[in-house]
Amino acid sequence: MRKKLISAVAAMSAFGLVLTGCAGGDEGNKGEGGDVTLQMVESLTNPARTDLLKGMLADFEKANPGIKVQLVSPPTEQADQKIQQMLQSGSGVDVLEVRDLTVGPFSNNKWLYDMAGDLKGWEGYDLLTDQTKKFTVDADGKAYFVPYGFYGLSLFYRTDLVKEAGFAGPPKSWDELISQAAKIQDPTKNRYGYAFRGGANSSGQLMSILEAYNADNLDVENAYKVTSGKTIFSTPESQVALDKYIELFKTGSPESSVAWGYAEMVQAFTNGSTAFLLQDPEVIAVVNDSTLTKDQWNVAPNPVGPTGKAAWPMATAGWGVAESSKHKEEAVKLVKWLSGDPSTKFAQDNSLVPILKSAGEDEFFKTGPWAGYVEMTSNPDTWISVIEPRSSAWWTEWMKRSETDLQQVLLGKMSTADLLKGWDEYWTQKWEG
Amino acid sequence: MAFRKWSLWDLTSTPFVGLGNFQTLIADPMFGKVMLNSVIWVVCSLVPQLLIGFLIALGLRKKFRFRGLYQAVVFYPWAVSGFLIGILFRWMFNSEFGVVNDLLMRIGIVSKPVPWLANPDLALVAVIVANIWYGVTFFSIMILAALQSVPDELYEAAALDGAGRWQTLTRVTIPTIRSTLVLTVLLRIIWIFNFPDIIYAMTGGGPGDQTQIATTWMIQYTQQGEYGLASALGFIIMGVLVVFTGMYLMLLNRERTS
Repeated sequence: MRKKLISAVAAMSAFGLVLTGCAGGDEGNKGEGGDVTLQMVESLTNPARTDLLKGMLADFEKANPGIKVQLVSPPTEQADQKIQQMLQSGSGVDVLEVRDLTVGPFSNNKWLYDMAGDLKGWEGYDLLTDQTKKFTVDADGKAYFVPYGFYGLSLFYRTDLVKEAGFAGPPKSWDELISQAAKIQDPTKNRYGYAFRGGANSSGQLMSILEAYNADNLDVENAYKVTSGKTIFSTPESQVALDKYIELFKTGSPESSVAWGYAEMVQAFTNGSTAFLLQDPEVIAVVNDSTLTKDQWNVAPNPVGPTGKAAWPMATAGWGVAESSKHKEEAVKLVKWLSGDPSTKFAQDNSLVPILKSAGEDEFFKTGPWAGYVEMTSNPDTWISVIEPRSSAWWTEWMKRSETDLQQVLLGKMSTADLLKGWDEYWTQKWEG
Repeated sequence: MAFRKWSLWDLTSTPFVGLGNFQTLIADPMFGKVMLNSVIWVVCSLVPQLLIGFLIALGLRKKFRFRGLYQAVVFYPWAVSGFLIGILFRWMFNSEFGVVNDLLMRIGIVSKPVPWLANPDLALVAVIVANIWYGVTFFSIMILAALQSVPDELYEAAALDGAGRWQTLTRVTIPTIRSTLVLTVLLRIIWIFNFPDIIYAMTGGGPGDQTQIATTWMIQYTQQGEYGLASALGFIIMGVLVVFTGMYLMLLNRERTS
């Protein structure tokens, strides 16, 4: 009996090992005929994107005989942890997807190769948008990744509902958004104004209104600060903005949106029950696949604050090279190639704001729902490009804290003034170290 | 790891901090709330699971047409991942588009949608309902197996003595399967205490940390890269589980020797 048990356990363990893909990294990576094989790992995996990447890598291999690329695509939820384990073990990864959220810890642990030297004199560098350059080389002059595109909020709206409510066009400012949402909202008909985000990762939308109200004094290198050096949460403008935001929740959003995360918000817009949604461009593809027809919806630029300006913070991710890579030269070559012309197709197919200046001339980005993005990128004085401190060590802790505190305010258990005071203290302390 | 400052942010320096992580956790105002929630989560999930599971097992004991099919349907939830069930229930409890509110409104129990997962008092109710649905099956399986081992002579003797249904249940059935009941309950306590899947998928511990239990709190720390604190919390969870496991093994031994 005991022997049987031991055999069973051994068999199960072996099976488990096979399942978890315990294939060790091919150290040498020298394939047939002296080819170099690069291991590339993606993070924000989805099946369509993986196919697209494979196609791109096949083109790269054609253009660069002697280099083969093996793509590793872990499931999104575990990808960053998997990448972390690979980097920690010091083998099995040459090129990897680096996100603004992971660049901090990865570079701090000395797992990322600094490409600054390799990018000097690279002709592709001048073709990048200013936004992209800002993220490619950080404040210390280090280049840990080249972005492949940007995620940035803009206002999805229902053209038909806005018109029915008697408005000439989509809201341009937060004030207009609040009044339009309140007018459209009618819970008895299961119709709501704004898809409010009270659940996971709610700080993005909240910061959007705070930054719009502080647009004249924002520190563009760190949008959680104002030019006086204090935190954005310490200003009287933020108090006004937060109270407005809570008003938007109370008068123009579903009661249950206290708990809404990404899926619920997007669903509320695509199922036709909610008129406004502040979200990233990848939602364009989701709405295209929904029951809403093309003439029922559109995308407008981010709502502006009282001074007619708004900030446009961007989340980003890109391609970087592992410090432990034995083929850095080829790996950098691949990163440069991915950051050239192929990046525009990658941005189109993934609904990302593109990284090349030339992409703005592309018809694709000039029409329909994309027009709002082009309007924002071509008016940098109105939609000020800013960087949020997303690479801070405490960013995930902050996301959780901000989510919990905002929910407390929405549930009436905390005042807006207390929330701002707490956040001001939190960031001040963190920056003081 | 539990005794070191071990943060993903800086793995180049992981100094020994002794009981520092434990002190940080216990000093956190969340600690008491999380432990209380864990107890509520276990007790309020377990009792209904046991009662409903028992009733289903009694119902499935007698032979009737399609009993096999019934059993398969009843036991089906056990084969589904807890995380998946959490996601399904999250949408079922969705205030505007969820089937739960739709049913309640059609029957006329409520007049407007109930914000289940957005209301701090109702969110815990919602996750517990989902957990009850998920766990009833396990009790049904275990108790049914035990019931089928109760000799028919005992029931015949009870009937001869003029025992009614209730007396048969309390004097014959329950005493005979008592050991299975006790062991199953203990096993389930360990299991439920250690089971974050449904809460994680339904509320993520929200709204405002109202549905945070020890294991979801631990997940939160690992997501924040605070492995030192997460390990210390893991230690505390282990401590609780060791107590119950010890009781389980003791009872198991006693049953064997008797």
